[in-house]
Formats: sequence, structure tokens, C-alpha cells
Amino acid sequence: MPATGAPRVNSLALLILPSALLFALFFFLPIGLMAVMSVLTGNPVVMPHVGFTAKHYARIGNDSYYLEVIWTTLRIGLWTTIVALVIGYPLAHWMARIRSRSGHALLLMAVLAPMLTGIVVRTFAWMTLLSDKGVINQVLAALGLISTPLQLMYNESGIIIGLVHIYVPFMVLTLTGVIGRIDERLEQAAENLGASPWRTFLEVTLPLSLPGILAGSLLVFALAISAYVTPILLGGFQIMTLPILIYQQISANFNVGFAAALGMVLLAISLMLVIAYNHVLGLVSGQRELQ
Amino acid sequence: MSAAIEIAGVSKVYDGGVRAVDAVAMDIRPGEFFSLLGPSGCGKTTTLRMIAGFDSPSTGKICLDGADITHVPAHKRDMAMVFQNYALFPHRTVAENVAFGLRMRKVDKATIAAKVKAALAMVELSGMEDRRPAQLSGGQQQRVALARAIVISPRVLLCDEPLGALDKKLRQQMQFELKQLQKNLGVTLVFVTHDQEEALAMSDRIAVMNAGRVEQIGTPTEIYDQPRTRFVADFIGDTNIFRGQRAIMDQGAGLAVGSGLVLTLPKAVATAGNEAGLSVALRPEKIVVSPSSGADGGSAGRSARGTVESTNFLGGAVLYRIVLEDGQRVLAQQPNSGARPFHAPGQAVTLSWQPGDLVILED
Repeated sequence: MPATGAPRVNSLALLILPSALLFALFFFLPIGLMAVMSVLTGNPVVMPHVGFTAKHYARIGNDSYYLEVIWTTLRIGLWTTIVALVIGYPLAHWMARIRSRSGHALLLMAVLAPMLTGIVVRTFAWMTLLSDKGVINQVLAALGLISTPLQLMYNESGIIIGLVHIYVPFMVLTLTGVIGRIDERLEQAAENLGASPWRTFLEVTLPLSLPGILAGSLLVFALAISAYVTPILLGGFQIMTLPILIYQQISANFNVGFAAALGMVLLAISLMLVIAYNHVLGLVSGQRELQ
Repeated sequence: MSAAIEIAGVSKVYDGGVRAVDAVAMDIRPGEFFSLLGPSGCGKTTTLRMIAGFDSPSTGKICLDGADITHVPAHKRDMAMVFQNYALFPHRTVAENVAFGLRMRKVDKATIAAKVKAALAMVELSGMEDRRPAQLSGGQQQRVALARAIVISPRVLLCDEPLGALDKKLRQQMQFELKQLQKNLGVTLVFVTHDQEEALAMSDRIAVMNAGRVEQIGTPTEIYDQPRTRFVADFIGDTNIFRGQRAIMDQGAGLAVGSGLVLTLPKAVATAGNEAGLSVALRPEKIVVSPSSGADGGSAGRSARGTVESTNFLGGAVLYRIVLEDGQRVLAQQPNSGARPFHAPGQAVTLSWQPGDLVILED
């Protein structure tokens, strides 16, 4: 046991100082402030006397409108996640198993290229496709398949289409990493023992890629429920989600306390998901130890 | 139950133009322990993968009991493979791993339970049913992989260096057990290995492969005693290879190697056509090392003189490295007969052998 006083700190540990500071300043501090604001009667910057209150939370809980908004947000997030998974999984599997290097590079480009364009631009692109006078409706009308335009946007499915397009790359990249680490010989062993390719997928590949499915879904869901631009543009204020509501409370109603409370609800949902994710991962961890 | 495999003119060319397997032909008999032996990259694993159906031949065909299976998918071939890294399903228990093949065959639950129990008992893993592969030692994982393969009573058992990851003691024990198991089950077994001792110890027949081609197919004793090519002689065990020109001797045909040394060729070969150059192999244990007496006139062509360079005691035998008068180095191995002392480094010795022990090699 060394007798000298202060514990020795590896000087390399100092390297995390910048990121620790960044986190403290731009992550914990704002969230802390938001938490405080959500239980204050007013904005302490402009009002001299403020007290503590739970009225903002009570308002959310007592008004079915706000619960409806929360439910809409979750529903959009859930559908976005499911569709992104269904589209992303085959693509990720293909990317993880493609042998040719140039083929892999091409797929990676295809997945990443949309991310080089801003979300607003991509959302406007969807509007030109989905609107009443958009490409899809024009083509269908020209073919004589429809007489009145289909309602493709200013509804939830329009928002989901836009969100899926934006978040599929996150799903694909997360899944590719996990599927790529599955030993192909496990799949061969299954086939060798008489499992058809489809059965092999269900019995071996799918269960072993579960951690990737969970991680990718968590990521996409968290991003989708906090999305703002796409729900506004493709929803055209017809669909109210939590982020839009929060923005309205701040910019139109100047009700910072209520906005903070709504923000805390959004944060709590995300946190609960992360905890649930860790729990489920622990349950399937039998396979993790061996990787 | 067990099946014959016929491989006819099979080649595998990969996209880059690499010829991994080149015009390989072999007939594997029912119930045979057949080894594919060769250095890494010789095409032995690719050949096994083509038999299993994981790779398809570029040309040629593979038949199972006369039926062409070249284009039959892997899951319909009724073969079982033991992988080099065992490839146990990490998310399933030992019992579930072993039951996998039976489940795919839609065997009823009671039969599966009984067969899994019996298979695990056969590989001495009873009581391990509920463990995960990660909780087992390498040797135990190996046994699970074996149980998973044999439980489906496959027509052919394929093994890709299954003992490669085990330490030497366990490896020898598993060699013995695997051989016993194969004999008891009577299953045709195709065994891939780069370990020549392992192949010699276990196989009924061996196909020695090099650079995608089959160099020689034969029983372990044929492969060892009568290597057909220089590669086989060199790869299997230790050997001395002499290269030289044909020469006429008093006793018949001879081979002049280096400066002054002429070897008498065996009778059977003495009549063979005259080649420009010839290689012969002589196993170290066929050479008798004796102290140099000075007069060896009577054994010209079957002996040589040299100086001991190093003496290695191996336990059961003594291995001498001897420098001949013309500078060529020769290995000679003498059984440990109890005679002491050994020939010491620096000592002049005479090496002698029987002409019949020389094996003519193709280059």
C-alpha cells in the first residue's frame, strides 16, 4: 500500500476533460435547467417571484389532447421503426455478406448518400412526390387509375414515409456491424444439419442479430419521436407531435415552463426505452459472451 | 447407411482466376476413413466444402452412391460436418445444439430427447445438457460438435481439422476416440488435416494434395513407404532426397549424386528408361549408422561416409545429422537400443542401407 496521499491519476485520463466539459456545458446543464423550469411557476429571468409547482405536469396528465399528442408521437415513432427495420434488415444483410469490395462500397454509398443532403431538402423532395399535384398523383391520374388525388401527405403516413427515408441509414449501419460479426460457419452448420436457407435465417441469423435489431430500433425510434422538421412539413400542422407542440409553446405561447415539462416527458420516454433495451440485452446475453 | 463418394474431374476457380482445386478425382469407399492431407492453401478445405455443398465446383461432378449431387443444396445432402472452430450455436444450449439436426428432420420430441441423451453419453458429456457452448472447454465443445453431427446418423461425416485447436495430449486421445467412433458407426468419414502424423495414425486411405492437385492417394503405409512424388516424400515425415544422374555400375543401374557418391538403384527400377535426372528418397530410419572402419569396399553403392554434425536424443530414438564427404546433409534415425554412447558430433561414421529402401520420385 502506498503511504503517500493523493491518488495517482493517469495523465492520459486528462484527455477526456474536453469532452467531459462539453457534456457538462451543453448536455447536463441544459437538461438540468429544463428540469428546473418544468417545475417553476414562471420564467425566473423575467419574473421576480417564482415558486415551485406541478401544474405543468398536471396539465399534461389531465388534458386528453396532450395525451393524444404523446400517443400520436409514439405511434409515428413505432411505425417508422418497424418500416425502417423491414427495409433496412435485408439491405444490411446484403451489405454485411457481399463479397466484392466494390459492391460493398457501392451499397455503402447508396446508404450514406441521402445523409449528405439536408433533412429540409429531402423533405421538400418528398412533398413534390406526395402532394395532391405531386409526381405520384399526376402519374396515376395520367394513367387513368385515379380521378381524385390520393391523400399521400398532411397525414401520419406521409410523415412516416419521410422519417423512414431519413432514418433507414441509421438502422442499416447499426445492423450491418452486428450481422457482419456473425460467423458464416454457424449458418453453414445449420444448413449442413438440414435447415433450409429460410429456416437457417430464422434459427441462427435472426436471433444472433437481435442485439443489432434492438440497438438500431432504439436509435431510430428515439430520433423519430424527437423529429421536428419532417412532421411539420409533411404533416402541414394537421398532425401534432410532441416536438411541434413544444416549439409552439415556446414561440407562440411563450409558456416555457409547460414546454419544459413536455420536453421532460419526451426525455423520460427515451430513458425508459434505453433502460428496457439494456434489460432485454441482458436477457439475450448468453450469446454475447461468446462473440 | 454409409455412402460412397465419387469426385470426378472437379475444379474450383474463384472469381479472381485463382485455381483453388484443379482436376481432382477420388473415389471414397463406403465406411472408409479418408483423409485429405496437405499444407494450407492446397485445396483440401475447398474440396471438403464442395462435398458438403457450401461451394459448387466450376467443372466436374460429385456423386454420392452413384447419384449426382453436384447441384444439390447443402441442406439436402444428408451429410454432417464438424467445423474447425466447431461452429456451435452460441445462443443455444448443448442439448439444443445436438437436437438441431433432428428438429430439422421433424423427428418427434420424445425420440429427439432419447437420441440427444444417447449422443451426449457417447461423447461423455452427460449432465452438460443445459450449458451454453461458451461455458465449455475446447475439448468439450469439440465433443458437442461431434455429437451434433453423428446424432443425425449422416451418410457421410465431414471433418475440417476438428482437432486442430486441442493441445497435444487431448488431441491424441480424441484421434483415438474419433477413429473408434467412426469404426463403430461404420460411417464414411472425410477428414481434412495438415498434420501428417494425424493422417497416418487415423486414416484408411489418404489423398495428399498440393497446389490444388492430388499428388497421391493410398494407404498410410503406401504413402509413407512408396511416395510417388518429391512433394509427398518431403511432406510426409522426414526424408533424405538425393538428386543425380543415371550411372552404370558393376551391380546394375546406379545414380551418381554429387561428387563421387554413386547409389545402387533398386532392381525394379534399374531397367526403367534412361532419364536425364532422377530423385530418390531414403527414410532416416532405413539408414544404419556405424563407426567408420576405413574399409567399406564391399558395400559400394549402398553406403557412404560422413561426419556426425549433431546428435539429438528423442527418447525412443536418436536422430543424427550427418555431413557426407561431398557436403550433402543427411538425417539418420536409430532406434534407442540401449547401446551407449551415441555417436558424438565430429565422429567419422559410415552410413549403410538396402538398395530396395531407395524410392524413385517423380519431380
